[in-house]
Amino acid sequence: MNIVVCVKQVPEITDVKVNPETGTLVREGVASILNPFCEYALDHAARLKASREDVHITALTMGPPQARGALLRCLELGADRGVLVTDRKFAGADTWATALTLSAAVKRTEPEYDLILVGKQAIDGDTAQVGPEMAEILGLPQIMYGVEMEFTPNGKRVRVKREVEAGYQLIEARLPALVSASKGERIRRVPSLADVIAARQKELLVISASELDLDENQLGLMGSFTQVVKIFPPSEKKGGRRLEGLSPEAAAKEIAAYLRAEQFIGD
Amino acid sequence: MHEITSRPVPPADFAKVRMVEGFDEIKSRFPTYLSDESKLTLQPFDYLFFPKDEEELAAVVKEMGRRGVKVTIAGARTGLVGGCVPPEGALISLEHFDRVLSIYHVSQAEEWRLRVQGAVTLRDLNEMAMHKRFPDLERCGDEQVLAELKRFKDERTAYFYPPDPTETSASLGGTVATNASGARTFRYGPTRAWVRGIRVMLANGEFLEIPRGKYFASPSGWFVIYDSEGKDYPVRIPDYAMPRTKNTSGFFTSPYMDLIDLFIGSEGAFGVITEVDVALLQLQERISIVQFTKSDEQAIALVETLRADKRLKLDFLEFYAETAIEILRERQKEDPKAVDMPPIPAQARAAVFFDLAFDPLAEKPELDALEEVIASCGESVANSWAGYEARERTRFKVFRHVLPEWINATVAQRKKKHPGLHKLGTDLAVPDERLKDMWEVYKQALESAGLEWLAYGHIGNNHVHLNVLARNMDEFQKAQGLYAEFAKKAVKFGGTVSAEHGIGKTKLKFLSAMFSHEQIAQMRAVKKSLDPKDLINPGNIFLS
Repeated sequence: MNIVVCVKQVPEITDVKVNPETGTLVREGVASILNPFCEYALDHAARLKASREDVHITALTMGPPQARGALLRCLELGADRGVLVTDRKFAGADTWATALTLSAAVKRTEPEYDLILVGKQAIDGDTAQVGPEMAEILGLPQIMYGVEMEFTPNGKRVRVKREVEAGYQLIEARLPALVSASKGERIRRVPSLADVIAARQKELLVISASELDLDENQLGLMGSFTQVVKIFPPSEKKGGRRLEGLSPEAAAKEIAAYLRAEQFIGD
Repeated sequence: MHEITSRPVPPADFAKVRMVEGFDEIKSRFPTYLSDESKLTLQPFDYLFFPKDEEELAAVVKEMGRRGVKVTIAGARTGLVGGCVPPEGALISLEHFDRVLSIYHVSQAEEWRLRVQGAVTLRDLNEMAMHKRFPDLERCGDEQVLAELKRFKDERTAYFYPPDPTETSASLGGTVATNASGARTFRYGPTRAWVRGIRVMLANGEFLEIPRGKYFASPSGWFVIYDSEGKDYPVRIPDYAMPRTKNTSGFFTSPYMDLIDLFIGSEGAFGVITEVDVALLQLQERISIVQFTKSDEQAIALVETLRADKRLKLDFLEFYAETAIEILRERQKEDPKAVDMPPIPAQARAAVFFDLAFDPLAEKPELDALEEVIASCGESVANSWAGYEARERTRFKVFRHVLPEWINATVAQRKKKHPGLHKLGTDLAVPDERLKDMWEVYKQALESAGLEWLAYGHIGNNHVHLNVLARNMDEFQKAQGLYAEFAKKAVKFGGTVSAEHGIGKTKLKFLSAMFSHEQIAQMRAVKKSLDPKDLINPGNIFLS
């Protein structure tokens, strides 16, 4: 059984900072991490691998050369092989061009795939589109927002418990299929030093645009139907007032007086 | 040069300094100023001052001196031994001394330095250095400062300040006064090793500017300080030998010592530190590793091997004893999210935690030596946790704090039934070659006493924190008796009774376990030369 986990490297950001002059994201001093939902997808792949002997996991990403870091993390956490699809020609890709590129890379590097796993969305773009688009491009059944998954005993189908608004659905799909993950391990896994060392001895394939069965006008900005015009943070909230150095009683009195003065509470 | 002259600052109007008068007023409006992290409180005191600059500080100290009122100095009040808890008189909070003054490069030393006021916190200092954002400097308008700042920013490297006392809200001045240390002292030494200059106000209200490397004790062990009117204050430095461990008990001394070192770690006995020059170091990427072992003894053997291998440059080397791992396992069962780490491997009994340089993207990371050392101690790298992303390393640090937090909570819980109980933690350190001996002393005594205990901490510096969790007052007294014995043993092994917490007001009795009457008299003599009326920080280190 061949599982391909498609992952993305994202900036580790809790609040978006935008350079007011250029209108672009401030990336200085911001570390890059494996997108948390992609790590969930990998968690499920590792569980599936633990359930059967014949599972082989490929972690695949499209990104700049330093996206290798995200693949190394996948290799530490149980992937058997990494594939980095990198080329300047991919720059500016929207979700469609990305899905097209990833699909072509899957076909090129793991044509005998049984299951493609993705995270439900990336924490930087938050579109949640790339997975479903890949399923369309590859003509696969797709199950989104998976929280639990298993292969049926005959290995022909995948059974997924997925989140829906009112609860959960249990859905089966024939393989090959594409599944997105919205939850993984509750406590994030930690590799051992042995895993860190072994990850750097595993196969990590680097391929470029010319190795994919795609035209140049299907790649990057050229192949994109959408374009980000502007990124901007929501308007900032005004800072509140902080009471310091007061006893609890004095502080409570001060707060009560304020609430009364502003007519939040009655006299 | 062993002579130095103090200078006055233009006087401020004492009446304009922000002051709170009367203990009741202080207690009701500023209750947090009554103590520090030791939770010690003493007699009522009369004044609380908030000087906003050196002129005001000098005005307060001179006026209090004139009235014969003693003053205690407070930074961020994060100390553990009551150093800033006033026994009488006045408390001066330096919280307004919170500005960064300059950044500059010293080409001879090939290092960047920061000059800051004493109340800048460690956390702020490191955030500013790492992200190269200095609001105070950016607004200062001084062209020379701005030019140096630009040079610093243009360098692509990130920087940090190596001393890492656990409490990052500590003020820099406080950490200098106490020569604070932390886990990274293992590699980088205590605060002393990173202080390049201080500005300090003496009891006479005048200031000394002391750069490192300029004023040294005379061959016969003297400094002479002159005030601006030419009056001299001769200071004879003590002649005892310092322990061969990290140490915060007693004043620092050594032949031909640098004057700056007399002030660093003096627990505020000689003056008020208002400004500090510190050196920064280039920040490298690192990997944090928790290596589990089969027993305490195996962990100690691993520590000794890791320390001896010169190829390995570990930043810190921490210990989780068997007793600590058991508690962490229990905590994981009760509330996995609170511990936020995967289950501790079943075969793990104890662990060591360390950190070393690591480039995650390197084709061939240099981990061979480490793997070899771990295997040579009969342990497996498969029984470990490793993380190098910032968020992962933070997680490892949080994990380290689970134990002290659990201890505090447990003691607080038991205190409800036995109000006399309080936290019982040791701060003893011994030289490297005595680590194993000291551990045997601890373990044997604690096990045969049948007490509930655990151990963790800075094993790289042979500075393991023992904690006894007394279940009643009998056990509490038994533990106190054992601690006194341990302290004697540590001193006998050439170690110290206080490796990092200091003596302050709560550990006075330990000082005499380490120093003779004559040696303590030498310390008193230094204090008397610099502060003849015992005006500043009375009651710290020894009773007035």
